Amino acid sequence: MSKYAQAFLAGLQSNLVYRWNFGVRSFFWFFHLVAVYLLWGAAYAGKADIGGFSFAQTLTYFVVIFVMQFFIGAFNEDYQISEDIRMGLINQFLLKPIHYFTYRLSVFAAARVVSGAFGLLALALAIPFFHTLLALPGEPWRIVLAVPALLLTAIIQFSIAYCFGLLAFWFLEIQGFVILSMAIETFLGGQVVPLDLLPHRVFAVARFLPFFYQAYFPGAIITGRQGLDFALQGLVIQSIWAVLLVGLAEFTWRRGLRHHTAAGG
Amino acid sequence: MSSLSYYGRIWLASARYSLTRALMFRGDLAIWTTVEVLWIGVNVLMMGVIYQHTELIAGWSLYEMLLLVGTSMLVQRFLMGFFWSGIFEMGRNVRTGLFDFVLAQPGDPLFMASTRKVELDGLLNALSAAALVAYSAHKLGLHPGPGDLALYAAMVVCGIAIHYSALVMAMSLAFWITSSQGVEGSYFTLMEFSRLPREAFKGVLSLVFVWILPAVVVSNAPARTILHGFQPLWALGLAAATVLWLGLAVGLFRLGLRRYTSASS
Repeated sequence: MSKYAQAFLAGLQSNLVYRWNFGVRSFFWFFHLVAVYLLWGAAYAGKADIGGFSFAQTLTYFVVIFVMQFFIGAFNEDYQISEDIRMGLINQFLLKPIHYFTYRLSVFAAARVVSGAFGLLALALAIPFFHTLLALPGEPWRIVLAVPALLLTAIIQFSIAYCFGLLAFWFLEIQGFVILSMAIETFLGGQVVPLDLLPHRVFAVARFLPFFYQAYFPGAIITGRQGLDFALQGLVIQSIWAVLLVGLAEFTWRRGLRHHTAAGG
Repeated sequence: MSSLSYYGRIWLASARYSLTRALMFRGDLAIWTTVEVLWIGVNVLMMGVIYQHTELIAGWSLYEMLLLVGTSMLVQRFLMGFFWSGIFEMGRNVRTGLFDFVLAQPGDPLFMASTRKVELDGLLNALSAAALVAYSAHKLGLHPGPGDLALYAAMVVCGIAIHYSALVMAMSLAFWITSSQGVEGSYFTLMEFSRLPREAFKGVLSLVFVWILPAVVVSNAPARTILHGFQPLWALGLAAATVLWLGLAVGLFRLGLRRYTSASS
C-alpha cells in the first residue's frame, strides 16, 4: 500500500510543477462560467423557470459541475497512459510488483488534489460576483449521498480514460478516439445542458448510460434537480457501471499486454 | 512580391506534405472528421434543447442562432485546418527545445511554426459548418446576393486572423511558463463567446467581450451580413480588431522568442 502512497506523493510533486497551468486553466474557467451565465441568462429572459428550474438553480448546476470537474475529472490521463505504452515506459511496471491501474489511480488522485485546490481558488474568485445568483438546497441527505456519488464518478471517469489510454496497445494514435468520446461524454454527461431538459424518452435512456454518471448525476444530487428516490436508484446503477468499467479496464490491460512488445534494455 | 512568392512556395510544400501524410493514415482522417462533425452536432443539440424551452435568446430565433454558431464554427474549423497543429506543437516544442528546428529554417519563425501542417479533417469540416450556415439561411428564407457572400467570406478571413492571433498569444505563454499543456483550453474558452449574440452582453461584459476582446465581433459581424446585409460599423470594427490583434500576437511572440534559450542551454 505504501508504494501507492509514494506514487501519490510523487504525483503531487510533479503536478505542483505545473501549478501555473492549473492556475491559467482556473482563470479561464471563470470566463467559461461567464459564457454560461450570458447564454442561460438570455434564455431565461422573461421566464420564471425552464424545465421547472429557476435561473439561479440552473446556474448553480453549472457552477457545481465545473468545480466538480477540477476534483474528479480525468483531463489527460488517457494521453499519459498511451504515452507510457508508446514510449515503452510500462516495461518498468511489468518487472515490478506494481499494479498499473492502482498506480495510475494514485497519480490521478494526486493530480486532482492539486487541480481541485485551483478549482476552489477559482470558485473563491467567482463567488463575490455570482453568490446572489446561486441557489443550493439545504437538505442534509444530499451531502451524504453526494460523497459516494462523487467517488464513483471519479472511478468511472478514470476507468474510461484508462481504457482509452490502453487503446495505444493496438493503435499508434488514440487522441482521435479520446476526443470522439469526449464529444459524446460532454453532451450525455450533462456538461452543456442539464440532462433533465432533454425530452423524457431521451432522458430515460440516458439514465442507463455511464456518461450520465460522469457529471450530471452527482451535480443533480447536490443542486436539487433530482429527489431522494432517484438518487438512491442512481447510486445503484452508478455502482454497477463503476464495477463494470473497472472490470473492463483490467480485461483491456490483460488483452493489451498480449500485443505488447517490450523492446530494448 | 518575391518574398510573398517565397513563402507561398514554402506553404504549398508543407500543404502537399500534410495532405500526402493525411491520406496515408486514412483511418485516422476518418476518425478526426467524425470527431469534428460530432462537436458541431453537440453545439446544434445544445441549441435544440434550449430552444425547446424558449423561443428567443437575446432576440435571436433558433435558426438565427444556428447561423451564428455555424459561422463561429466555420472560422474555427478553418483555423484548425490551416494553423492549429503547428501552433499547438509550438507550445510543446518550446518546452522540449525542438523549437530549435523551426529557428534553423530559412524563414520567419512565426510563419514557419504556424504553417508547418495543414489538417485535412479541419478543412473537410469547414464544409459541415458551411452547410449549417446554408441550412439555417434557407430555413430563414434568406437569399444573400454575391456581394453579401463576398463580404461574408472576407469577414470570415478576418475572423480566422483574429482566432489565429488569440491562439498564438495563448501558446506564446509557453515561453514564460513551464509547460503550455492545457493552455490551449484558454483559447477555446474565449471563443465560446463567439457563439453568443451581441445583444446578450450588457454593461461591463459588453465592454470586455465586445469592445476589448474580439470574441463576439468575429462571428457576429459576418452572421449579421447574411441576416441583415452590409453593416459598415460591424465591418469597420472587425477590420480594426484584425489589425490590432495580429499586431499584438506578433509582438507577444517576438517578446517570448527573446526568452527562448533552447533545450541545451
